[in-house]
Amino acid sequence: MKVSFFETARYQASKPLPSEWPVPSGVYDPEAGARAYRGMIERLELVEELGFDWVSVSEHHYSPRILTPSPIVSAAFLAAHLKKIKIALLGPIVPQSNPVRVAEEIAMLDTMAQGRLVVGLLRGTSNESLTYDLNPAEARERTDEGMELVLKAWTEPQPFGWQGRHYRYRTISIWPRPLQQPHPPTYALGTSRESCDFAARHHLGCGVSYGSFEGVGKATKYYREQCARYGWQPSPEQIIYRANMLLADTDEEAQEMLRKLPGQAPFSMRPGVRDAMMTLDSRNIAGEPRAPVVSGALPTTFVGSPDTVVEQVRRCRDVVGAGVIDLSLHPPGSSDLEPLMRALELFGKKVLPQIRDI
Amino acid sequence: MAETAFREGHVDADGFRIRYVEAGEGVPLVHLHGAGGLRLTPAHELLARRFRVVAFEMPGFGNSPVNDRTESMAELASTMLRAIDKIGFDAFNLMGTSFGGKAALWLALQATGRVRALVLEAPAAIRQEGAAPPSGTPEEIARRLYAHPERVSAPPIDPALRAKAQPLVQRLLGPHRDADLESRLQDLSTPTLVLFGTLDGVIAPAMGRVYKDLMPNCHLVFVYDAAHAISTDRPEAFTEVVGDFLERHEAFVISRAETVIHP
Repeated sequence: MKVSFFETARYQASKPLPSEWPVPSGVYDPEAGARAYRGMIERLELVEELGFDWVSVSEHHYSPRILTPSPIVSAAFLAAHLKKIKIALLGPIVPQSNPVRVAEEIAMLDTMAQGRLVVGLLRGTSNESLTYDLNPAEARERTDEGMELVLKAWTEPQPFGWQGRHYRYRTISIWPRPLQQPHPPTYALGTSRESCDFAARHHLGCGVSYGSFEGVGKATKYYREQCARYGWQPSPEQIIYRANMLLADTDEEAQEMLRKLPGQAPFSMRPGVRDAMMTLDSRNIAGEPRAPVVSGALPTTFVGSPDTVVEQVRRCRDVVGAGVIDLSLHPPGSSDLEPLMRALELFGKKVLPQIRDI
Repeated sequence: MAETAFREGHVDADGFRIRYVEAGEGVPLVHLHGAGGLRLTPAHELLARRFRVVAFEMPGFGNSPVNDRTESMAELASTMLRAIDKIGFDAFNLMGTSFGGKAALWLALQATGRVRALVLEAPAAIRQEGAAPPSGTPEEIARRLYAHPERVSAPPIDPALRAKAQPLVQRLLGPHRDADLESRLQDLSTPTLVLFGTLDGVIAPAMGRVYKDLMPNCHLVFVYDAAHAISTDRPEAFTEVVGDFLERHEAFVISRAETVIHP
């Protein structure tokens, strides 16, 4: 099993912040922001030393919960400060980006980082449709087309035009191209049938997140079936599972931490917006409809002492088929850093050595 | 969409009686069809709003008699050039689809000064090794040609008529890499637009770059979510870029899209 640490740049506010998304930017404290980014590097130096394989960053906007609206900027900053660890850009929200720009920036970053880049492309969470005025009903189609254009921009040697449905360009010919050829290891992120189909058709990896092993396992099973249909078999490393983990010395302590978790949606929108989003934002797991995550907390699927967690990782490998776990160790949004650092140390010493062979 | 009325006509060239359909006004746009024969698509109608579209049925296709005389693509092109002469076009735009793309290239080589611009829709002049034209039942053929079979409005080409033309297609199509043609393309400076659908299951879209490698004034455009029959799968997208190219040639790369939301 390979292990990735999901870095969210923990922002520590001096007073409680409004919880509704978007969080007013007027309550942002520039000094606290600077501390969050400094702290991120210190933390990741430890993560690298503990032997994590990857550090991952994501794209979220308008909130202190995950302070990385531009994952490319985050990844570039990390690549410059860290020497060995792979940087997993999970990833640009494709439907609200210029896909050519995404292809260029990833190629540039992969080259600057000496080929240490891993890439995930995705549609984004429901709230992010509001960020740049994306019509949620078009998000899926724009994602598929955008991902295809990114791949084409990386690999087509002659200048070309793109006559798309949502994107139109007459001249594309990117410099630099990625250092890793033909492109960095790339994943389509998401549990939807469309995302799994895309990954299978283009021989990409598949990344799922936060659901129960059985839930996301439906998606990874469907993905593997589709890969077989296209005549290939993904390696374990081509399946990433991102999940929350609460790790403590004993199971009791970990369960106590779980009880204290706030049961709130990660990006909680006004009820009228949330309800309208439910009807517009169509989501599925391998074709089975599911509600968008607009209310309720994300589940925590790894909870317990090191030995308990090792067994859970083993089960995850069996049920989900993941060869990479991407950990929200002590859930994002928590600004309490001390338990996070304890969990990190504990994970590095007691869990990591035991899960290498899983 | 308002129906555009295509008029039917015939010209005699090289002893063949050649049928064509025509609509629209303005600069002539001559179309040479693919290996299945002439079949109007919504793109013909859309193009006829901007050009005088003349779509030929090449000798041996459709209801015309079996053509066992034409020996090469160059010869077919020369016959079609005579047919164009008979219609009376001096300068014209030329569009070739798949099999017709190779004929169009030969025609452009034979009439360089007269072809204003050349459009090649999924051209079959350069193919990956082992590429085979679609064959089988109409359903099997449709699966190879279309990403969106639900958008096909015209009835499928009669399998008997398709079969009748196949010996001619096989005789004229030539090797997957045609050294004679390719050596000539290096001197063909006609503004050329090559289009491939991203889902083309007949000819690999990667062949597009070879035209660009070889030809001095060539542009390559991928049409997303279209298969081999681009003009049927995505007629509006196809017509927009083709029309733009025919009107502005290489300056078609300059966007004229307006982004003002409100004044």
